[in-house]
Amino acid sequence: MTFFTIVVRGLIRRPVRTGLTLVGISIGIAAVVALVGMAWGYEKSIEKQLDVIGVDLLVSNMSAGIMPKVFDEKIQEKIAKLPHVAETTSVLMQLLSIEDAPMMMVSGREWGGFTWNKLKIVEGRMPKDGSEQAVVLGTLAAEVLKKKVGDTVQVETSELAVVGIVDGGAVVENGAIILPISVMQEATGNQGRINFVDIRLTPNTPKQTVEELGKQIQVIFPEGRARDASEVVSANQGFRIARAMSWSTSLLAIVVGVLGVMNTMLMTVFERTHEIGILLAVGWKRRRIVYMVLCESALLGFLGGVTGVTLGALGLKILEFTPAIRGLLEPDLSPKLMLISVAIAVVVGVISGLYPAWRSSRLSPSLAIHG
Amino acid sequence: MVETVKNGQGTLVYEAVGLKKHYDGGKVAALRGVDLQIRQGEFVAIVGPSGCGKSTLLQMLGSLATASEGVLNYRGQSIADMADPSEYRAHEIGFVFQSFHLLPTFTVAENVQIPMFEGGSSRAQRIERATELLRSVGLEHRLTHFPSELSGGERQRVAIARGLANKPTVVLADEPTGNLDSVNAKQIIELLLKLHRDLGVTLVLVTHDLAIADLATRTIRMKDGRVISDSGVTPPTDSP
Ligand SMILES: Nc1ncnc2c1ncn2[C@@H]1O[C@H](COP(=O)(O)OP(=O)(O)OP(=O)(O)O)[C@@H](O)[C@H]1O
Ligand SMILES: [Mg+2]
Repeated sequence: MTFFTIVVRGLIRRPVRTGLTLVGISIGIAAVVALVGMAWGYEKSIEKQLDVIGVDLLVSNMSAGIMPKVFDEKIQEKIAKLPHVAETTSVLMQLLSIEDAPMMMVSGREWGGFTWNKLKIVEGRMPKDGSEQAVVLGTLAAEVLKKKVGDTVQVETSELAVVGIVDGGAVVENGAIILPISVMQEATGNQGRINFVDIRLTPNTPKQTVEELGKQIQVIFPEGRARDASEVVSANQGFRIARAMSWSTSLLAIVVGVLGVMNTMLMTVFERTHEIGILLAVGWKRRRIVYMVLCESALLGFLGGVTGVTLGALGLKILEFTPAIRGLLEPDLSPKLMLISVAIAVVVGVISGLYPAWRSSRLSPSLAIHG
Repeated sequence: MVETVKNGQGTLVYEAVGLKKHYDGGKVAALRGVDLQIRQGEFVAIVGPSGCGKSTLLQMLGSLATASEGVLNYRGQSIADMADPSEYRAHEIGFVFQSFHLLPTFTVAENVQIPMFEGGSSRAQRIERATELLRSVGLEHRLTHFPSELSGGERQRVAIARGLANKPTVVLADEPTGNLDSVNAKQIIELLLKLHRDLGVTLVLVTHDLAIADLATRTIRMKDGRVISDSGVTPPTDSP
């Protein structure tokens, strides 16, 4: 028998209560994993998309909403003339409700620009030219919309032909409807307007030059800003809201977890007055009893954390295949998130054990074992 | 302050002067001034009517309760002033109670190992020592049983083995046979006598049973929180 045996024995003596407490913590931790995993996944998906397409800098006006504001397409020409800019391409991208799907990324892209290059045709073909009333669907978008080559899809005011299914190499790309920008502008009533200029820099542009370039862009387009992939994510209000919501909901889950564990540990301590008295009588230090109670509640937290992460991971997998979310983001179930979640659970356990442990250390042995 | 008093009968283990204990803010006086000396190697029986303060005195000797007034020294050191009484409880004394007080969720062998966590021994050493102790009380075949599977006499033998876990020099027993039939009581008393004889353990035993008290080297009678007679061979002397 080791000290750990004693700690475990303390938990399994009341299997039902321990089990219920575990369920409580694990639901909390599962919520943390699912929510934070979604928020992180949202960010990572966008970063990955930009990386796959090969965008170094993205110019947009992110002052409002989830999607940037539209601006005059002439700005692109001016940006293209700046030094170290190898290539530019304009994009008009919006989150639209398409037929039965509540939210889909619809991405109008400058015909002939590099954003078309990485799309691999899986079925059908690309649009013939920049004015064909046609779209290609990412593989996930095709699944969500249940469309095949030859069908049509209603994008705002235009009925467009699905001419191809493409694999874009990133979830966000595969979840998108992609079409020539002029067709998109017409469908959404945004003639002459875009909301992104994607920039490719000349290879090996030093960081300082990139910053310099950013300032020059600011002169051309005062409301806009040039950002790299990670900045795009952190500047976006939608991401920020998602992040804040996921953490605040998590916090709530954690508080509930703390109360649950504390309640269990307090009951354990009260129930075990007699036993703790015996331990004191045979010479256990109060410190060891405090440590025992803390270890028990930390172990409770740890086990709850592990189950919670498992549940949360399952939940994320299910969410990943939910039509409403599918293609918009790829939940991020990183080892980092799992470790953080288990660590949170252990900390919850320890914090919840502090008061019960303190109570246990104040017990009087003579009262506990009279006679 | 370590001060060992020697006379012909060995080192002074306990010394109580004017020991009082009140409960409930003075309403209940459990001990009303006890003066007492117990020496190394004695077997002291404490007898007296119910409620006279025997258990209270024993708990104070074991540092489980604190005195309201008076002095109580263990080998010259005040028990109340001990920096860490758990050290004293773990290594100097062993308790045996009337109602055994074993931990129900631990096996016999595990119960005996519990005090050894304060001894810094390895897992293997703990198992070995527990097995050896349980063999000495005749329970080597019940190591993996739980207390609820044992008879009262067997439980008390486990409790004695546990009390000896860290090789104490003093054993404090509070009516160890109070819950046992005469056959089992006899076994337990023989076991305690053997400890006293073979290991030289100082034994302080509270009992109602005068036959058991007769086996002791000394009998202290209590009444109403006071010592009314003490068969101690030498009456307590104040100075040599
Ligand atoms: N925790 C307590 N609170 C209040 N009174 C107490 C407490 N413990 C003991 N007493 C009282 O102190 C007195 C002495 O009690 P104690 O248990 O020492 O008696 P005892 O001699 O061991 O009796 P018994 O032979 O019945 O075990 C009793 O009157 C008892 O009611
Ligand atoms: Mg008593």
